[in-house]
Amino acid sequence: MTEAIYKIFTIAKYTFKELVKSKVLLNVIFLGLGLLLVTFVAYSFTYGEPSKIALDFGLGTLSLSSVAIAIFIGVGILYKEIESRTVYMIISRPVPRFSFIIGKILGLIGILVINILILATITLSLYFSIGGEFQSLILWAVGFIILESVLVLLVVSVLSLISTQTISVILTVISYICGHAISGIKLTSTYKLNSSFQVLIDLYHFILPGFYKLNLKDFVLYEQKVEYSYLFASMTYGLLYSGFLIMLAIIIFDKKNLD
Amino acid sequence: MIEFCEISKVFNTDLLKKNFQALSNVSFSIPEGKIIGFLGANGAGKTTSIKIAMDFIRPTSGDILYDKSLGGSKKEAFKYIGYLPERPFFYSHLTGRDFCKYLSQLSNVSNQLFKERVNKWAPIFKIEHALDRYIKNYSKGMLQRIGFLATIIHDPKLIILDEPLSGLDPIGRKELKDVIVELNKEGKTIFFSSHIISDVEEICDSVIFLKNGEIVFNGSVDQVISANIKPVTNISYFKENQVKTIKVDNNNKSNQIKRIIEDGGDIISVQADRPTLEQIFYNVK
Repeated sequence: MTEAIYKIFTIAKYTFKELVKSKVLLNVIFLGLGLLLVTFVAYSFTYGEPSKIALDFGLGTLSLSSVAIAIFIGVGILYKEIESRTVYMIISRPVPRFSFIIGKILGLIGILVINILILATITLSLYFSIGGEFQSLILWAVGFIILESVLVLLVVSVLSLISTQTISVILTVISYICGHAISGIKLTSTYKLNSSFQVLIDLYHFILPGFYKLNLKDFVLYEQKVEYSYLFASMTYGLLYSGFLIMLAIIIFDKKNLD
Repeated sequence: MIEFCEISKVFNTDLLKKNFQALSNVSFSIPEGKIIGFLGANGAGKTTSIKIAMDFIRPTSGDILYDKSLGGSKKEAFKYIGYLPERPFFYSHLTGRDFCKYLSQLSNVSNQLFKERVNKWAPIFKIEHALDRYIKNYSKGMLQRIGFLATIIHDPKLIILDEPLSGLDPIGRKELKDVIVELNKEGKTIFFSSHIISDVEEICDSVIFLKNGEIVFNGSVDQVISANIKPVTNISYFKENQVKTIKVDNNNKSNQIKRIIEDGGDIISVQADRPTLEQIFYNVK
């Protein structure tokens, strides 16, 4: 067991190193500048409570940029590993396939979290510099953006194991949009009056990721009170779903013919 | 060390197309301490066989057995196997040294041993000057060399090489062949696939011929050559300011030599007509 953990961390370390050297972090600098610009423009054209607008734009663009980075790094790495056969050199060693997949995913999550933390620091620095007030929910919101991006990363990684890169990206974007829209759909009269539509939506809700549970932006902006039980339930949901996706990736990769 | 038992592999690439039988009941074993050449034309099933041995793909039927020298099980065997794939692609944003270190850590090689082995083998592979360069800047020959170094960094007992010499210039090929022989002298078993038959003939103890997914020959190089020697002798002689060579039946050899001498010719050489492995391979085809 200790040996398997050592190998997982070795693979994670070199995946992280490879990504850092590939200058993927450079993209974050451009994204960060874009983020600053968008937030600054929104703030400059606002009357009333500019700091709220800065936070709204900041968290919104942070969330979207993080998802974009997750898709960008998640779709390529496992797919390329198999396509370019670099995986052969690793699993020809005494490395179980599950160690390889967990190590790769951990390396990706590492680089993703650093990316998001850099962007979050930029966003929040601007917010505080224009007089925004600290609320602990802001930190929860950033934490949930990280969790949401990890989920997106795992969805796209699992899909890339069974499909092409383009299809994986399209399906991930669809599941992201639907995962946010599903809570709104449940409030519509179509859902309430149409039983077959209800079954379909409930089934979707049961199987596919409910990203809306990790969205705290509205709570932050309108300074609504959120119960800790809700926060912990959402966090547990995100973590359990991530665990489920990692298990799925392990099973698929274990059965996969690497030809 | 490894035994292929009745291995078959069928690929179903497209629902609308017929299944493709890549291997049919392939059985052979890799004996310890030898250099074994795995020959066959492109598409014969060499790489598929190696991928099955390395558990990258699973056979449709049949079994691979790993003997006690490799730990007796698939799980243990990979501690003692070094594998170099065909067309090596490595992590382009790592340096050669990082890449070797990565693989050595996965094989539980200590830092001290890693340094010793790099110091020993990097000059032999003539790659020490490029160890700290990013792999993306390597040439094809350098990729092959760093791949080879990474393959043996954990001191494996069995080294499996898939087309290790393809795409290299003659000097590069000669150098890598010398290393293969050197490793074999150190007690390593080498199993390598190739379609360059002269390379196999030069360094291998035995060969396995694969054709359309079936074994057509499995035995020692001497055995295959002596089985294909024809009862014919080549006689070279010098006459009228020209070197001439004739092929004669072995039964008629003495009479023919006598006749050449009587006609004023000088005999230069008398040699049995020994076919090359390449000629035999083409006949098998």
